Amino acid sequence: MAILSEFYLLLSAAVFSIGLYGILTRSNALVFLMSVELMLNAANINLVAFSFHYGNVTGQVFSLFTMALAAAEVAIGIGIVLVLYRNFEDIDVTKAATMRW
Amino acid sequence: MAGVYDFVPAVALLPFLAFVVSLFAGEYMPKRGAEAGIIATAGSLALSVWTLLTVAGITGPATSFNENLYTWVAGGEGAVTLNFGILVDPLSALMLVIVSLIAFLVHVFSLGYMNDEGETGLPRYYAGLGLFSASMLAFVFSNNLLMAFMFFELVGLCSYLLIGFWFREAAPPSAAKKAFLVTRFGDYFFLIGVVGVFATFGTGLFAPVEGAETLASFPELAEEALAGSAEEAGVNTFGYDPGTWFTILGLLVLGGVVGKSAQFPLHTWLPDAMEGPTPVSALIHAATMVAAGVYLVARMYGFYALSPTALAVIALIGGFTALFAATMGVVKQELKQVLAYSTISQYGYMMLALGAGGYTAAVFHLTTHAVFKALLFLGAGSVIIAMHHEENMWTMGGLRDRMPVTYYTFLSGSLALAGIVPFAGFWSKDEVLFEALIHGLGSEGAIGTLLLVGYAMGLVAVFFTAFYTFRMVFLTFHGEPRTDTARDPEPVRWNVKGPLTVLGIGAATVGFINMVPVAEVTGREIDYLHKWLAHGDISVTTTEHYGELLHTFAGVDPAELGPVAPGAVSLVLALAGVGAAWKLYNVPDPEEHTDKLGGAKTVLMHNYYLDEFQVWLATGVTVPLARAADKFDQGVVDGVVNGISSVSLFGGSRFRRIQSGVVTNYATLMTLSLVLLLVVFVVAGGVV
Repeated sequence: MAILSEFYLLLSAAVFSIGLYGILTRSNALVFLMSVELMLNAANINLVAFSFHYGNVTGQVFSLFTMALAAAEVAIGIGIVLVLYRNFEDIDVTKAATMRW
Repeated sequence: MAGVYDFVPAVALLPFLAFVVSLFAGEYMPKRGAEAGIIATAGSLALSVWTLLTVAGITGPATSFNENLYTWVAGGEGAVTLNFGILVDPLSALMLVIVSLIAFLVHVFSLGYMNDEGETGLPRYYAGLGLFSASMLAFVFSNNLLMAFMFFELVGLCSYLLIGFWFREAAPPSAAKKAFLVTRFGDYFFLIGVVGVFATFGTGLFAPVEGAETLASFPELAEEALAGSAEEAGVNTFGYDPGTWFTILGLLVLGGVVGKSAQFPLHTWLPDAMEGPTPVSALIHAATMVAAGVYLVARMYGFYALSPTALAVIALIGGFTALFAATMGVVKQELKQVLAYSTISQYGYMMLALGAGGYTAAVFHLTTHAVFKALLFLGAGSVIIAMHHEENMWTMGGLRDRMPVTYYTFLSGSLALAGIVPFAGFWSKDEVLFEALIHGLGSEGAIGTLLLVGYAMGLVAVFFTAFYTFRMVFLTFHGEPRTDTARDPEPVRWNVKGPLTVLGIGAATVGFINMVPVAEVTGREIDYLHKWLAHGDISVTTTEHYGELLHTFAGVDPAELGPVAPGAVSLVLALAGVGAAWKLYNVPDPEEHTDKLGGAKTVLMHNYYLDEFQVWLATGVTVPLARAADKFDQGVVDGVVNGISSVSLFGGSRFRRIQSGVVTNYATLMTLSLVLLLVVFVVAGGVV
């Protein structure tokens, strides 16, 4: 028996909310990256779920692209975290509050 | 063929060159730049005389010249073209000779007055004189109103520079400022008038320029507009009746004339201008600055002759100024002050003559006055050198025997100024009054009455003129010396005596060019100046043409009256004035009879409180008005602008606080905004 689409959506919403919560409450840049990753994957779950629901593979292909994009984003994100650490000896995002220092 | 007219620009360019040379190389010259000025003005004089002879038909066939030489703004369709051009006709040729002659003599005299007295800053002085002469000469041969205006302004600037020559003392800079500001006040109206003339006629030419296509002059266009319809003549009168509009334009231009020629009520700058070096005073009063105003009216007389109102105003201002200034001259104690008021008064006579339709008389008086007033000022300069720069006449006396050349030339000038036969001033002043009388009697209506009023004031002024002139002569030269300086005056040299002699002979003889009463009695044709101005190639600037205009448009006509009886009246009055001065002041030890005038003396000494009145006008009316306007500007206009900007300023400063720089805050804001957007969509029931 196939799982109902509503449950996929619920799962996706839960993952997205966890990611959002992480972004709003934490100040560690790495946790930020992970939270963003969670939100992206919540969207992926949605894409795959609707693809399954309508019997159309377009959504699944789209989620592959999103994963590739997420990989690139993580690479840039890690780079930023490194620079942050080099300048502040810390990866707390609230410390970098100005554009120049 | 290179005729004399190709060299006319050089008449003004030579003194301009002298200006440049004196300014930059004057320090290295033995006479500190005087050489350049003397050579240049001598050259101008020679060229002017040549021009005069050519206009007279003696040295060439072409007796007039009017061409545009340089276009500096080329107007396209429907726009005006601005040119520099040269107009040589009998009037300007005569004036060129007068100006360059006086300028030359003043330069020579300056050697004695400035160089021999060891003044410093002489290159600046001679540069100023050069530019002054150049501007005036260029003004004289201008062929359009805008060019005339530009050089008119330059003349004003030069007078400012020269009056304030001794800028380290207190009085001269302030006098220079006053001269500049007062004349500028008049020139403001002149400028509006110039713009008005260009807007109305599309041209500022004084006389038509012949060429591939003849360019009409504005007096002609005005005449056509009055004779026919304004549209046909291509004249835009801005909805006014042409007659009214031309009167307005004429009176606007007259504002500049009143300022420059020191006519009431803008005459106050002139007595103060005596603070400048005496040769400069001679130049200003005789030939350049002050003469410029009267010359301008004569130059565009074809325009003024169309408007009886403008003529009446000119005549009244002139007559009133003649009398008004003469009464003030009676009580002055300083030599140059007396001469200053006499200048104002004499230019009043010229204005009276112009207003009364006596164009020739005005030009005649301008000519003779240039000679004898330059003479009197240079004579006064000679006395001032002798007295070690003491100008109060009460410290002089008895100079007759100690400086005979100065005395006799000064006497010649004084006789001319007082109007005693046969000196120059008699013939010209007599003709001014004669013209005012016959035109006053001959014209119908209000203008006739007004001209007679002007005549009456001019006639009374004759007595005062003779009186103050000879009071000055007697106090300065007669009686016993009243101070040690007067007992042993400093001798003057050839460079002072030379110009004095030339002008002294001139003051006695210039009048012979136009002896109308003698011509009338003997029936001989010796009124040369009348003939000189009556004919010419440029028919619209001849007195014949002006006579027709006066008759047709202004209703000013001469009455049939012989010139002998009016001449006798004014001569008797002049003699009475001299007699009164003789009785009161030609005694070994004169006393100040002016004290007997009581309160009148105080009023006269304070120049009828006009200076005070003008200062009050500035501080009592203009300043509060300006303050109120400032308050309105600062409070209301700026207030509105500042109020609007302060709203956005305040809003911006508050709104800026959300830009904290902390990433978490931004994320929160984004999330909340998204939620808000979703809520709105839900409430509104969809995107559309």
